[in-house]
Amino acid sequence: MSKSTAMALILLVVGLMVWGCGGGDDTTGTLTIWQTYNDEEHPVFKEMVARFEESHPGVTIEVVRLPFAGAEPKIQTALTTRTEPDIARVDVSFLPKLASKNALLALDEYVPAEYRADIFPVALQSCMYDGQLYGIPDQTNGLCLFYNRAMFRAAGLDPDTPPATWDELIEFGQRLTDKDEGVFGIGLTNSLWWSLPFFYTYGADLLSDDLMHCTLDSPEAVEAFQLKVDMFAEYGIEGGAWRAGGITGDVGFQNGRYAMILNGPWAVESLKRTGIDFGVGHIPAGPAGSHTNVGGNDLVVFRSTDKPELAAEFLMFVANEENQRNWALTLGQIPVNTKAMDAITSEEHPYLSTFVEQMQTAIPRPPTPFYPEIENLFIPEMQAALDGTKSVEDAMRTAVGEVDKLLAGE
Amino acid sequence: MAVEKTSTWRTIALYVGLTLAAVVVLFPFFWMVVTAFKQPGTAFSPEIFPSAPTLDNFKRVLGDFGFGRYFVNSVIVATTAAAFATLFASLAGYVFAKKQFFMRDRLFGFLLLSLMIPGMMYVVPQFAIITKLGWMNTYKAMIIPHLANVFGLFLMRQYMMTIPSELIEAAEIDGASERQVFTTVMVPLSIPIIATLFLLTFQFHWNNFLWQLIVTNVERLYTVPVGLAMFKSAHEELYTLKMAGSCISILPIAVLFFFAQRYFIEGMTMGAVKE
Repeated sequence: MSKSTAMALILLVVGLMVWGCGGGDDTTGTLTIWQTYNDEEHPVFKEMVARFEESHPGVTIEVVRLPFAGAEPKIQTALTTRTEPDIARVDVSFLPKLASKNALLALDEYVPAEYRADIFPVALQSCMYDGQLYGIPDQTNGLCLFYNRAMFRAAGLDPDTPPATWDELIEFGQRLTDKDEGVFGIGLTNSLWWSLPFFYTYGADLLSDDLMHCTLDSPEAVEAFQLKVDMFAEYGIEGGAWRAGGITGDVGFQNGRYAMILNGPWAVESLKRTGIDFGVGHIPAGPAGSHTNVGGNDLVVFRSTDKPELAAEFLMFVANEENQRNWALTLGQIPVNTKAMDAITSEEHPYLSTFVEQMQTAIPRPPTPFYPEIENLFIPEMQAALDGTKSVEDAMRTAVGEVDKLLAGE
Repeated sequence: MAVEKTSTWRTIALYVGLTLAAVVVLFPFFWMVVTAFKQPGTAFSPEIFPSAPTLDNFKRVLGDFGFGRYFVNSVIVATTAAAFATLFASLAGYVFAKKQFFMRDRLFGFLLLSLMIPGMMYVVPQFAIITKLGWMNTYKAMIIPHLANVFGLFLMRQYMMTIPSELIEAAEIDGASERQVFTTVMVPLSIPIIATLFLLTFQFHWNNFLWQLIVTNVERLYTVPVGLAMFKSAHEELYTLKMAGSCISILPIAVLFFFAQRYFIEGMTMGAVKE
């Protein structure tokens, strides 16, 4: 056998192998996706899926709708028996957990850099774990300050000027509060996630850069949480919405008990329906500026899929400019594609445009697989600080100690 | 006179107390029904009765959300599972109560041990078996894993042990076959506990959420609790729709309790004490 024949044979074999691995079935067939879209989003998503199928002959996408509350245990159970779908829509806090257990397909080689550059950076960051890309965001959101314009007017405040700083918020709150009537300036939720805007506006971080230590016992963090405690205990402008059995922020805002609450874009539509005259302002600024925390959902591909390219293509389709523009306009949500951001104009979407602005300075959660556990460790300590049984410093130090133990794997 | 007076006061106090307790217990149901007739988004408005009551919630729940289908699925699953679980438990209860066989009490003790394992522990292995059998997305998967009910067996055995063996002997002397002993002596005498067990297992399956969600990947097989969970998304809960769905979902349990409560209460107390 001559050298060139041998070379040709080798090339042929290699070529066949490559063809066998990469081609053929990969671009046709069925993709299964488990999603948790709500009632308004579901039809819009189905329509998007239909268009994808139309432009990809031979591809069927089987959409399974799951209740948000049961999705995580269902996915975990399915993973133990290798019966997971190709794609799932998961909460941003669940992605690091799945990635750390090696359940997800790293998408770095499938998603070109030009495409990534278009995705809203804060949202894209929620898909990163250990330096690799494990998903494409399909929804991103943060918090803003909702305020009751009618109550502002009644208290002699300008209904077009929400408080710009925490100091202003306290001042406004004191004018809005009428304890005898059970009316308060603000109602706040007690959880770590809902307290993050306090920490971020004071420049405190949740975890150290190596994700091994909790840093919420820093002086900035203590000062930030002290502010939240003082709103209730010292200034009396917070109505105790965080207490067990207290009137929650949502309910109190609807009933005119709380003049201000923190809430996300999801609340806008239902509040509009109640007929309340309300406005949305940025998170009041602290020493480190105005920052919201980030929530949302990501689409992920499981490692077991036999059609990684097609699955990745579908993810990129969902977050492309056209679909995000359509999604934002139909549902009034923040687009995850920066090219579609101009769809949200302040004239037509006065509430949402405030959120879009706020998201520019949003701070995502660190990519730790332990976020839900950290949240659970903080809640009782924060509760103790709020009801005065512990000093803020004490509570933070205890919680940080517990979290550090968890992170050290003890 | 004096005696009568105190007893009147006592009665009044008793009724006042019971009324208060009834209000506390019934308030959530009241809220559920009232909220089901409210306009969307006004679940927590201050008014007690909706100012503009609407049937839209029910229409949407049954129409757009396909609750009729979920309801039928739940009825199929809960009825079949409860019927078979009760049948098997009564058969096994009879044997454990009245028959002698090798290692009977040890075996019974061993079965009781399985009651100490939290139910969640079974989910993954049972699910693994279901997928191996290829039963995903079937009624079988929702029903069969729960048919052997050790708690039911325990309840049946304890109750049947209180039935005098002489009755069985008398029937046998009259020429009753084994099956006749079971159907003409044991079952009629155990009706209260059978009704109780049926009710309890029906209720368990009617309310079961996680298992039914895990073994189904198609909406047409979802049951009522899974359907109800759909009304809660990450940040929002569609309370008016959820309450309309809940109103529909409590119907069968309410009806069952209404007809079976006599047996049920009898069964609860009778099963509780074994002489």
